[in-house]
Amino acid sequence: MLDISTLLEEIKASPYEEIVIRAPHTGIVTFSDLKPGDRVQGKTGRWKEIPGTRIATLTRERNPKPVEAPLKGELREISSEFEGQFVEAGTQLAVLRHFLSRDEVIDILLRHALHLFPAPERAKYYFVPQIDTKVKVSGCQSVTVQQGMELLIMSRMKRETPVYYTGPGGIIYAVYFKHNENVDAGRPLIGVCSKEQLPVVEELVLRVRTEWKEVF
Amino acid sequence: METQNHIVLIANRGEIAVRIARACHALGVGVACVYTAEDAESGHVRVAQELGGSLYRVSSYHDANEIMSVADQAGATAIHPGYGFFAEDFRFARRVTTRDRKMIFIGPSWRVIRDLGDKINTKRLARSIGVPTVPGSDRPIYDEQEAEKVARSLYDFQLQEGVSQPLVLVKASAGGGGMGIEEVYDIDQFRSVYRRVRNYALRQFKDEGVLIEQRICGFNHLEVQIICDRTGKNPVHFGTRNCSIQSVGLQKRIEVAPGFDPSSIDYDFDAEALLKSITEHSLALAREVGYDNVGTWEWIVTREGRPFLMEVNTRIQVENGVSARISRLRGESGVDLISEQIRVGLGEPLGYTQDDVSFEGVGIEYRIIAEDPSHRFTPWVGRIERFSWKEEPWLSVYTHVPTAMTGEPYDIPTEFDPNLALAIVWGKDLSQATQRGKAFLDSLVLEGSNRDGESLKSNVAFLRKNSDRLLRF
Repeated sequence: MLDISTLLEEIKASPYEEIVIRAPHTGIVTFSDLKPGDRVQGKTGRWKEIPGTRIATLTRERNPKPVEAPLKGELREISSEFEGQFVEAGTQLAVLRHFLSRDEVIDILLRHALHLFPAPERAKYYFVPQIDTKVKVSGCQSVTVQQGMELLIMSRMKRETPVYYTGPGGIIYAVYFKHNENVDAGRPLIGVCSKEQLPVVEELVLRVRTEWKEVF
Repeated sequence: METQNHIVLIANRGEIAVRIARACHALGVGVACVYTAEDAESGHVRVAQELGGSLYRVSSYHDANEIMSVADQAGATAIHPGYGFFAEDFRFARRVTTRDRKMIFIGPSWRVIRDLGDKINTKRLARSIGVPTVPGSDRPIYDEQEAEKVARSLYDFQLQEGVSQPLVLVKASAGGGGMGIEEVYDIDQFRSVYRRVRNYALRQFKDEGVLIEQRICGFNHLEVQIICDRTGKNPVHFGTRNCSIQSVGLQKRIEVAPGFDPSSIDYDFDAEALLKSITEHSLALAREVGYDNVGTWEWIVTREGRPFLMEVNTRIQVENGVSARISRLRGESGVDLISEQIRVGLGEPLGYTQDDVSFEGVGIEYRIIAEDPSHRFTPWVGRIERFSWKEEPWLSVYTHVPTAMTGEPYDIPTEFDPNLALAIVWGKDLSQATQRGKAFLDSLVLEGSNRDGESLKSNVAFLRKNSDRLLRF
């Protein structure tokens, strides 16, 4: 049985995560006027249409690309020694301390409550076309899965292989993979909620919504 | 020499990046290399360092902006795309050669890539000068009903021709390298195959157009290696290759040069005349389009000896080395087609004619790949712990796996094909080359395991087994 109280206490003891912001590609970097300790915002708005605080700008092929804070938090480090220099992809530009939001805490706890269907191999994953359409139109929770059903396509090294769902039947409550991104072997692809689990999941969501206080 | 003031950015990885770096070094040309985080341990990074080239970590080999920005930073005067990635992307080639800071694209000019890179246009061009092509559609089809109509007419055509089991191929029109091709055995199943290929094409190539062609069974897959300088007027061929030993999904595994061996095998047709005919057709098309670098004309040849042009690969091919191995330039061995490509790409004249090129013996190229032939050649991923072979004067092995260079273990990255090495053996005739090929495969040590403790799987046994049926139908 899931002990929501203990899990919540564990998260409360360390209610943040450190995020390293890296250069997404090569280019010449110029930093915004920020210093360690400054608070920054992540993407906001109903559609996440408002960009986060600009940390730096990478210029490549005359195209300036803003590097924004992915989430809200407090800047811990800025690699200002690279100011005006050409940097390689993956170079560390800043470190951000991000305080967990309610939704993120719910997501962490759900990973304990749901049945997680893991990636069998490191690969890119896609839903099979019929399910993909359903997810796009009505959301993932409109899809019911059963043991043995053809659910995903695993794409690796130019090969595509069908992936059959194994585990208890239920609805897809959460999707953890993104289009065209590799998922490591063993990482969850989807979280499935069976009928029996639904009350636990609902209680979990309710408790986090009432108990968790966001830092800022 | 004109080439010596250049710096070539190698926009590729693995074995081909190693060979380009070495060829540039031999020509006295500077190199710059790119690598992604997953490839940090790859041999191409090590070789570039050893040769004094500059190295840049990039987010992806597929990002054109990334390549251009690194080229500028490295002061590159030319970009070599290798094979795959940007090798046949005419937009990339056009951008390299027309941007403010212009560079040389080491490959055919962008117009040639555009004209021949499109399988459908190639088919039209070939038909216009009398080069035989595979029966089927000559434009991409996006409509299901139209596709089915074409497929049914090809079925009927084959029945009229006396084919007992007609087959149709559905190909992603933007595909290549054997990707996105499926056979239709039962015309009533056409729609489901069509939809599968169309969805695959959309995911992989962002274009859902398909080609419908007659599936010719029991054929041999032949290639003609062409090279020409920037004038586009003096193409020369470096012989033919036979690439018929393939895995599932039409992936080549063994290549043999020359394409047929009439000196030791009896064919039901005049093999010598056929090889001459396909090289002449290939050169005619090269002249027609003003082809101006290296390229490969791909043919299928039926059991009756009827050739059909499939496509033109406007790039250096994986298997270029096997053609080079049997070629003699003014009687001298040691031809390197990658060096030749760089030389003519940088603007030097070809400097020889067809009369200067001769051929000697038989070459066999083995592609050594971590894959499981007993499970539809599924790629195997894990750690290589031992990789070595017995050196011989008749053997060349090209690899980017550091285990073969230093003995250090190497984790195969899942982002790319698990190709480990290309081994090219030479013999004075087919029988000696085959014997030497088997001796090489027997001497090969290739060991490793994955995180589940499963031993390394490779195609070595498959290569050995198929060594006995080279160049035969």
